[in-house]
Amino acid sequence: MKLSSKDIARLKRELDKLTLVQLIIALTILTIFLIIPIASLLGKAFIYENTLSLKYFEEAFLSPGMVKFPPTGAMVEVIERHKFVTLPNGTRILKPLKTLYIGGKGPDFGYILNSIFVSTSVMIFASILGLIAAFIMARYEFPGKNIFRVLLMIPLLATPFVNAYVIGKVIGPGGLLNYILKDLLHLTDYTIVIIGLPAVILVQTLSFFPIVYLNMLSSFINIDPSLEEQAENMGAHGFKLFRTVTLPLALPGLAAGATLVFIFSLEDLGAPIGLSGAFGTGLHSRLMSFYVYEEFRKAMTLEQVHPVTYAVAVLMLGLAAVAFLSIKKYVTLKQYAMLAKGGRWSPRVRKPGIKGLLAIYLFLVPLVIVASFPQLGVVTLAITDWAISGVLPTKLTGEFLMALVTKSDVVQAIRNSLTYASLAIIVIVLTGTSAAYIVARRDIPGKDIIDLLATIPIAIPGIIVAVGYLLFFGTVFSNTSIDPFINPGLLLIFSYSVRRLPFTTRAVFAGLQQTHVSLEEAAETLGASRTRTFFTIVIPLLAANIIGGAILAFVYSMSEVSTSVILGSRNPAQGPITFLMSQVIYASAAVGTVSIAAALGVLLMTLQIIAITVSNYILKQRVAFLGV
Amino acid sequence: MVNVRLERVTKKFGEVVAADNITLEIKHGEFFTFLGPSGCGKTTTLRIIAGLEMPDEGKVFFNEKDVTNDPPYKRNTGMVFQNYALWPHMTVFDNIAYGLKIRRLPKEEIRRKVYEVLELVKLRGLENRYPTQLSGGQQQRVALARALVIEPAVLLLDEPLSNLDAKLRIEMREEIKRIQKKLGITTIYVTHDQEEAMVISDRIAVMNQGRIMQVGLPKELYKHPRNLFVASFLGRCTIVSGKVIDISPEGYVTIAFNGTKIVGILPSRDIKITEGEKAIAVMRPEDFTVEKPRKNANVIKGVVDWISYVGPYTEVRINANGRRFLINVDPDFKVSIGAELQAYIPYDETIVFPPGEAETAYRAEIQ
Repeated sequence: MKLSSKDIARLKRELDKLTLVQLIIALTILTIFLIIPIASLLGKAFIYENTLSLKYFEEAFLSPGMVKFPPTGAMVEVIERHKFVTLPNGTRILKPLKTLYIGGKGPDFGYILNSIFVSTSVMIFASILGLIAAFIMARYEFPGKNIFRVLLMIPLLATPFVNAYVIGKVIGPGGLLNYILKDLLHLTDYTIVIIGLPAVILVQTLSFFPIVYLNMLSSFINIDPSLEEQAENMGAHGFKLFRTVTLPLALPGLAAGATLVFIFSLEDLGAPIGLSGAFGTGLHSRLMSFYVYEEFRKAMTLEQVHPVTYAVAVLMLGLAAVAFLSIKKYVTLKQYAMLAKGGRWSPRVRKPGIKGLLAIYLFLVPLVIVASFPQLGVVTLAITDWAISGVLPTKLTGEFLMALVTKSDVVQAIRNSLTYASLAIIVIVLTGTSAAYIVARRDIPGKDIIDLLATIPIAIPGIIVAVGYLLFFGTVFSNTSIDPFINPGLLLIFSYSVRRLPFTTRAVFAGLQQTHVSLEEAAETLGASRTRTFFTIVIPLLAANIIGGAILAFVYSMSEVSTSVILGSRNPAQGPITFLMSQVIYASAAVGTVSIAAALGVLLMTLQIIAITVSNYILKQRVAFLGV
Repeated sequence: MVNVRLERVTKKFGEVVAADNITLEIKHGEFFTFLGPSGCGKTTTLRIIAGLEMPDEGKVFFNEKDVTNDPPYKRNTGMVFQNYALWPHMTVFDNIAYGLKIRRLPKEEIRRKVYEVLELVKLRGLENRYPTQLSGGQQQRVALARALVIEPAVLLLDEPLSNLDAKLRIEMREEIKRIQKKLGITTIYVTHDQEEAMVISDRIAVMNQGRIMQVGLPKELYKHPRNLFVASFLGRCTIVSGKVIDISPEGYVTIAFNGTKIVGILPSRDIKITEGEKAIAVMRPEDFTVEKPRKNANVIKGVVDWISYVGPYTEVRINANGRRFLINVDPDFKVSIGAELQAYIPYDETIVFPPGEAETAYRAEIQ
């Protein structure tokens, strides 16, 4: 780039004190806590004996546990055993016990392909469910619609690990599903057990389909009705209208939703850890995310981590990047963090006939029952003895909710999470407001890079961030106060800051787009410097957006999983809520019962409900944010 | 009081040249207007004067001091934006007092000045309202008051009346003119409305595609347009093209088309034209008469094919050998479609432009 003296004069004018400070804040935070850690990971994975090398990737692909093609094991397996049972008259007979295992022995494609298989399946299933649900909710008017509107959002309430545990408990051998099918209704002689990859796909589809649903809903609502009316006017109707006009117009929403689901599924630790809590480890934990997590959990020092782990982490990052870039032509980054704008016109809604109504209920009722079951189960676990009572709970108890304020390690974890999330909010508001303001209002070279850096964390697997921190801060700052092996709490503040930054950035950016720049120009012509304009005009006008964005970033920091469990395990005393939950569910039962984790899950859900309500009220618009 | 001078100012947005080599001087206390169609660069030029845009080339002087690189807050201009840009989180009083607070005036003086300017714009009593509680006209007055209260070196107005309804627009433009004359403040005004520009301005610069087409007094521009753009942008006219067949020593040019001859004058002495060349004649409807005038005049004879009653006059179109001439007649004049009509236009009111001007015509049909 050639800079003439005019360009330099212009740049000098653009870079007033305020812009300079904002630029330094945004670039410093993003460079130290995002770029350098990821670069460290890349360096570790690609460098062998001081030269660029693909050795670790070769090792990863060649090792038998990583890639198995064709897959081993049969998807469905029947195991028959005989067992003595005592009949009521006292005689003992040998009775056959038949168990139908789905996913128990296979398929197993190895860690790498398992992850791709699971993420792709989840993406497809979530897209189908989300698309149908969104179309129904956007285009039909039927009794109970508002109830479904609320129920469809329930799976978005993050209760990491415990939701998967609940599903495991329900579909497991002695679970509710078998009780109903076999013992109550006598529909089958088989005990049905869903386990392994199918179980992961089930759990993740149920928790992620609302992402597609919300994206598609906002797309459908935002389609100008006259476009469809014009098509009808020309003779298109029914499925033809949907296929030729409606769907193409809503495609960006589908692309964005599906990609996010793919990435979230890829990096998810909740399902493998939660299912391992219910069944013990097995095929459901043979996933890249779990592999990286386990390697770091077991290692005491960085030297004990096998370098292939870094290659696997980079592979995850690469897959997320490919998923992301492949749909870039449909959706800009900006649409990722903020989904629904709410319709500007009255959308086309009609009343279905009796057959249509029946079809709608046949689809929605089972969907909301199954999808909200994990959250209901978490509440049940927290307030009853269900964890130890067998198929159904037998009595209510306040013991586990009380533990939130009495049990010292639980109180400590809550205190840790609150501290980290509160401090992260300060960083997020400073960085997010600075980045959004520069991107929206300044004309300086390279501002596109800031735009990208401030929004891309939503597409970066948290595991990558955690591993990057361990590598960079654990090596360069070894034995200092920011060494994650000694003091992971400090770095958790920054990992939350970076990962949840897009929420605030997008909220502030949206506010700036709705605020005419002439409001700032008027202040400048009246003699206010840019700094003064920023503090007397911009900040008061955007207060609602900043606070709304900050509240969301706060709760989603509280429920953050990936970096919490990986960094938290370095010093359990500094572990946040989600780390303690993972410990309770999976790592060591000695820490406490599953019901404690459920009580923490209830706490997180309560915070999320409050935050979403408050921020929707403050932002005065129906803005749906992602909370994963 | 301040005079403003632009020297070879150029500003591009990508490929679009918003301001193309603009040089002009605006005098102390003058009411100066940039007039042109949307996208002609008038707002960009105003924003360059305010310091909100930086020119790619050229310089801006306030009282011979180069302010080209000064940020807007160092220029002491008062600007009224098209959308008023009133801050919704401040009352009328706080909006107006903002610039004074920045200038660190004592509280009492701020109060006094704000009430003075509220009196001037006739808004006394509304100081505690918020902008959303005001009508469009009141918001306009607040925006004006906010710009005036700081006693700016230059008052800048960017299409301030375009969001008001027709009646209010007329009322406000007289109001703005009254205040400007009272304060004697150098004022630069931007509008696309030619009537508004004529009424309000001391001088007007007509702009097109980033260039200044002509600068002059309102009457000068209307009566003596220097080019076809100015002629066709201001007011209505009939434009016909023909071939130059005679140039008299007094400067009268005769052009011919379809057997009809029209005599007219060139817009200025330095514009040259030669016999045999194509040329364009421009005639305003109000310069036509149905009675033969004393001065030498062209005669247009044809069949009336369109009549429209406007109020103060009646518009009539005469089809003369396939060319249609728009003329205004007295509303009492009896005329009917299909009737033969003869109209006259003095040579001195008919302007002849050289052929190169054809491209610059503004939305006008060249017959």
